[in-house]
Amino acid sequence: MPSNEQSKLSLGSLITPNRVLFAQGRPGKKELIEALVRTVCRDYPQLDPADVASQVLKREEGISTTLDTGLSIPHARLEELGDFTAALAVLPEPLRDQTNSDLSIRVMFLFLSPAKPAFFQKHLQILSTLAETFKPEFIQELVSLQDAGAVAARLAR
Amino acid sequence: MKNASEGSPSLFRVKKVVVLTTAMLTFIPFWKAAAVVLCDFGSSAFYAGGIAMRAFGPAFPWYILAVMLFSGLLLMVELEACSLFVRGGAYKIVREGLGDTAAKLAASALIFDFILTGPISAVTAGHYLCGLANSFLEMAGLSFTLPEGGISVVFGLLVTVYFWRQNVKGIEESSSKSAKIIAFSLAVCFLLAIWSFITIGLRGAHMPPAALSFSPESLGWAGHIDWMKTIGLVGMFMAFGHSVLALSGIETLSQVYREIEYPKAQNLKKAAWLIFGFALLFTGGLTFLSAVIIPPELIAAKYNDNLLSGLAMSLAGPGILKLLMQVMVVVCGVAMLSGAVNTSLIGSNALMNRIAEDGILTDWFRKIHRRYGTSYHIIHLIAAVQMIVVLVSRGNVYLLGEAYAFGVMWCFVLEVVAIARLRWKKASQKRDFMFPLNIKYENYYIPVGLILLSGFLLTVALVNMTTKQIATVAGFGFTAFLFAVFSLSERLNAKKANTMFEEGYRERINAETVDDLKEAFSELDRPHRVLVAVKNPENLYHLEEVLSKVNADETDVIVLYCKPVENVLYRQDMRSAAVDEHEVFTAVIFLAEKYGLSVTPVLVHSNDAFYAIAQAAAVADAREVVMGVSGRHGANPQLERAVMTWGAVKDRELSHPVTLRILWEGREVSYRFTR
Repeated sequence: MPSNEQSKLSLGSLITPNRVLFAQGRPGKKELIEALVRTVCRDYPQLDPADVASQVLKREEGISTTLDTGLSIPHARLEELGDFTAALAVLPEPLRDQTNSDLSIRVMFLFLSPAKPAFFQKHLQILSTLAETFKPEFIQELVSLQDAGAVAARLAR
Repeated sequence: MKNASEGSPSLFRVKKVVVLTTAMLTFIPFWKAAAVVLCDFGSSAFYAGGIAMRAFGPAFPWYILAVMLFSGLLLMVELEACSLFVRGGAYKIVREGLGDTAAKLAASALIFDFILTGPISAVTAGHYLCGLANSFLEMAGLSFTLPEGGISVVFGLLVTVYFWRQNVKGIEESSSKSAKIIAFSLAVCFLLAIWSFITIGLRGAHMPPAALSFSPESLGWAGHIDWMKTIGLVGMFMAFGHSVLALSGIETLSQVYREIEYPKAQNLKKAAWLIFGFALLFTGGLTFLSAVIIPPELIAAKYNDNLLSGLAMSLAGPGILKLLMQVMVVVCGVAMLSGAVNTSLIGSNALMNRIAEDGILTDWFRKIHRRYGTSYHIIHLIAAVQMIVVLVSRGNVYLLGEAYAFGVMWCFVLEVVAIARLRWKKASQKRDFMFPLNIKYENYYIPVGLILLSGFLLTVALVNMTTKQIATVAGFGFTAFLFAVFSLSERLNAKKANTMFEEGYRERINAETVDDLKEAFSELDRPHRVLVAVKNPENLYHLEEVLSKVNADETDVIVLYCKPVENVLYRQDMRSAAVDEHEVFTAVIFLAEKYGLSVTPVLVHSNDAFYAIAQAAAVADAREVVMGVSGRHGANPQLERAVMTWGAVKDRELSHPVTLRILWEGREVSYRFTR
């Protein structure tokens, strides 16, 4: 039975200002995921954005990653990665999740993990902590912020 | 923990909570299970000796004792049959081992005996009552006696009608009542035994003779076969065959097996030992003492049909005390024998239902009573036939006894052969118990003991065919008739049979809608809880894993089925994918029965199973949440979604760690929340 010593995730270490996007207009979920993937891949030359986006979207075809709170956590586990990485999109205008018509996405947290089994428990821990952290009040606060720096600072707090 | 936020959709994830209850999830300790069996099996003590005496003379107690010892072997057969957990008793075992035709034959023969068990028990009870009344009349100095035959018929009809109504209404006799009857019987047995030994001490005693003295009617056709008379062993088989009716009711163990509590296998063995010990003492011991104390002429003249009353009245001591003892014997006898009437109705109804479930009987038989939910057509039919038998017998217990035991013997022959055959067909299946005398060869256990036993049973059954004319003619006639009805009905039903087979058996479950999850779990009182989410009745590996390892004394097992109400996750209306909850919970109950563990089945209507599971686990304060793997999504995405949902729902620190587990075919992925 794997045991997890759950420490509070430092979101600040995952989300720096250059990993924060403010969605403009009314992008679709797919476009938003692709934009976040491109943002992450800028710092990982070994990653092919198209391939990563394809893996994330494939995972999205399975069980939804959107929660009632308005948080969507598209994710994938990649062979090429040696550590966790992420990017965040804030949506001033709610986005209807096409896979789940009664849910709106207000924040999308793209989360990429190493594929090695040793990282799986940490991967689950981060998913759980993200879901626990991004409660509606917190999401509302992020949405009300004006720039990427403020968002990253709030996450690092 | 509460819902994630005010006004968020998660508030509406659990739309309706239904707590499911069924009597099938009430499990009983081994001694109560033994009491249920003994109320039927033990009742033969009241008539077996008298019938055997009339058939082959004063040597009868040796053979009743031998049959009781032999019952130990048959109980071992039942232990192996039960350990296979082929639900449905001998019929299903024979079906698994030998196929449909043999199963139909076994069922037909067994129903023949069930139909006779009721009348023989009811009529015997009437004889005991009438015998008591006559003892009172005699003590009062009145010269007339009540006609035993007529009164036993009237009493037999009354008892049958009473249990007919009870069964139509679905009122089941409690195992606690059976336990009280057996406790009282045990007290009566000890009292009788002690008094008997005092009587023997005062008067002296002779051992019953071993020589057999068959009456012409008990020799049957064998009386015309000269060579049979020349072989002593044949006579012993004949006498044994006339005594096997003492085994009546032993098959009840396979009916009661499903109710035995955890640890099932060990408790079943304890129950079997208890049954064996009681039957040996009660039926074997008291019959033996009766033969030692009551002069054979008196048995023949007065106590053939109420032997144990004869024992009470033949003891040394004042008449009033003997009459009191007889009262106790009669109370005990009427209670046990009436219980046997009820068991015969329940048993035959259950057996006919198993046959109907296999699509062999037409819808007419399966018709459910609008008010009571019982298969009343079957009950009407059996009760009516039993009453006809009571009337035709005119209260003659010997006649009923002569007709009896055809079904038991042939059914046991088929069952033992089937169990032996299953050693090959289901060689890999784990057995908690195997009938002794086996030779291991590669992956098989060659059942030498079962083969020898089936040979012995077959010999007795064949000998009985020649000696017990009534049993042979009536038994073959009835079995052939019923077999023809089954076959014809199956043919008429052929088109529907497949549908019915696919529909399968549905457990009777009561559904009660409650206000919320908290109310659903309000009666759980063990320190720990495990929540097992179920979805597919074909995929309950995870539930079985939990049930096989859980500490039942400390843990409540909640089984949650989330019935989808609308699309949330899969871009389609999941209502069409919803499995009938009866099918799911029937499979759940089957597993709970297998392990003898009670579970709390809860059905929630929800548009998101993961939220419903997380909320239910939080409300129940579960330490473990266990799911089966989804063939569609795989274990990892399932676990990811589960931990995300858990995080979203969680709003406070945990008071203890919670583990989410997904189990499938010996594999597991899990995640442990520690705060």
